[in-house]
Amino acid sequence: MTQRRGREETEMLDHLFLKRLSIAMLMLTAGLAAAQEANDAAVVKDFEGRVQKYLDLHKTADITKKPTDSPDKLVDQKQQAEEKIQQSRPGAKQGDIFTSQIGAYFKKQITATLSGPQGDKVRASLRRAEPLPDLRLQVNQPYPANLPLQSTPPTLLLNLPRLPGELQYRIVGSTLLLFDTAANLIVDLLPNAVSKP
Amino acid sequence: MLSRNHKHEFMPRRIALISTACVLWISGAWSQSAPLTVTPAAALARNPVAVQEPGVPRTASGNGLDIKLPLQQNSVRFAVIGDSGTGDREQYEVAREMEAYREAVKFDFVIMLGDNIYGSHSPRDFEKKFEEPYRPLLDAGVKFYASLGNHDDPNGESLYKPFNMGGKRYYAFRKGEVAFFALDSNYMDPRQLEWLDQNLKSSQGTWKICFFHHPLFNDGRHHGPDIDLRSQLLPLFERYGVSAVFSGHEHVYQRIKPENNIYYFVLGNSGKLMTHDFHESGERVKGFDTDRTFMIVEIAGDKLYFQVISRGGQTIDSGELTRNAASAQSH
Repeated sequence: MTQRRGREETEMLDHLFLKRLSIAMLMLTAGLAAAQEANDAAVVKDFEGRVQKYLDLHKTADITKKPTDSPDKLVDQKQQAEEKIQQSRPGAKQGDIFTSQIGAYFKKQITATLSGPQGDKVRASLRRAEPLPDLRLQVNQPYPANLPLQSTPPTLLLNLPRLPGELQYRIVGSTLLLFDTAANLIVDLLPNAVSKP
Repeated sequence: MLSRNHKHEFMPRRIALISTACVLWISGAWSQSAPLTVTPAAALARNPVAVQEPGVPRTASGNGLDIKLPLQQNSVRFAVIGDSGTGDREQYEVAREMEAYREAVKFDFVIMLGDNIYGSHSPRDFEKKFEEPYRPLLDAGVKFYASLGNHDDPNGESLYKPFNMGGKRYYAFRKGEVAFFALDSNYMDPRQLEWLDQNLKSSQGTWKICFFHHPLFNDGRHHGPDIDLRSQLLPLFERYGVSAVFSGHEHVYQRIKPENNIYYFVLGNSGKLMTHDFHESGERVKGFDTDRTFMIVEIAGDKLYFQVISRGGQTIDSGELTRNAASAQSH
C-alpha cells in the first residue's frame, strides 16, 4: 500500500515537472520570438533611417522633376539628377544601406517568401524575366541604359519594408538592388539575396 | 494552329473571315454562358460598316477599309498598341494603317501597353520610336496614354507630356462613361495595390478597363502569364467589376477566354513580333503571331466593339462584348 502510494506520488511529481518544463519551454520560445521580433523591428528601423538619409540628398540636390514635351529637357533632367546624387555621395560603397544585419534580414524575408505558400508563383515570375547578359552593377552608378529592368514579384514586395516612391527594389539574377528611379542610380546591392530552389 | 495562322495572313478576306469564324466556333467560346458575350467576327461581317466612299483612305494592302465598329453617336473610340517602340519599318507601317483607320473611325486617343521606347532613351529615340511614326495622329490631336513596360524608363517616360502620365507610374482617367486605369506591372508594390483598390472602389465609370504590360493570362511561350501578379490583381478586378483588361509583353495578339466575367486581350506586337510563339493551354480563343497588329475599340452603352487589324490592313479578329450588369454593380 505504502509502495503504491509512493509510486503515485513520484508519478505526480514527474507529471508536475513535465508540465512546468513545457510551460518554461513555451515561455522561452515566446520570449525568443518576441526578442527576434524586436530585433527585426530595430533592423527595419535602421534600414528606414538609412533610406531617409539617402532621400535627404534628393532635397539638398534639388532634383527637378517637371513634365515636359521636350525629350532633350527630359534627358537633361535625368542626367542632372544622376550627377547631383553621384557627387553628393562620393564615397558610397556596397553595404552602406544593406549592412550585414540589414542584409541578413532581407535574405531571411526573401527566403521565407520563396518557401511560403506563394513561393512557386514568385519563383515562376522571376524565371520569366527577360534574360540579361552578365552585368557588373556598381553602387552609385547608373543601371545600364539599354537593358530592361526586371519586374519585382508583388508577393515579394508585400514581405519587404515599404519604400518611398523614389526608390524601388529590383532583382537581377540573385542580387537585390535598391534602385533610385529618379536618378537611375543603384543605391545599394545585396548579392545572393535570392536563394536557389 | 500556327500554320493556319501563317496561311491566314495570305488568304483572301472572305476565306479569312470564314476561317476566323470556324476557329472561334470550334473553340466553343460563344457557347459559354459568361455574362460578357462576344459576337463573332463573321456575324458582324454580315453587316459590316464598310467604308468604300471616294476619298476614303485605303490601307497599305490596297484594300478599302473594312470597318467592323458600328460608329455610333457619342461613343468612346480608341486604339490600342503594345510593344510598339522599336523605330523599325514595321512600327511605321502599323502607324500608317492606324492613321488610315483614324480618319474613318475618328478615334481620339490611344492606350499604350508598354515597351513604348525600346533600347536607349536619347532625345533621338523619343523622336524615332514615337514622335515620327505617330506624327499624323499627334497632329490630328490624338492623345496617347502610356503604361510602362520592362523596356521603358519609368522616370523619363512618366514625365514625357505626350504620354499623358502626369509624372506618375500609374494613373486613372475617364472618357465618357469609361474609366481607364493604367498600371505599372513592373513594380506592383503595396502602395499601388492600395491605390488601385481605392480608385476602382470609388470609380463611377460604367465601364472599368485596366491596362498594363505583363499579361495575367498568356498562351505565349516566350514569357507566359505572370501568375504572381495575377494572384494580386484578379481579386480586385473581380471585386470591383472590371470588364476588360489589355496587356502587352508577349509579342503576339491573343484574345483569352473570359475569366470570371472579365475579358483579357494581349496585344504586344505593334512593333515587335515573336512568330510561332503559341502553346496550347485552352485559355486562348483567338491568336495571331505572324505579323504586327493594333486594335480599335468602340464603347457605346453596354457594348464594347473591337477590331484587330494587321500591318497589311487585314482584320485579324473582331467582335462585340456586352458589359455584365451584375459585375458592374458588384461594388
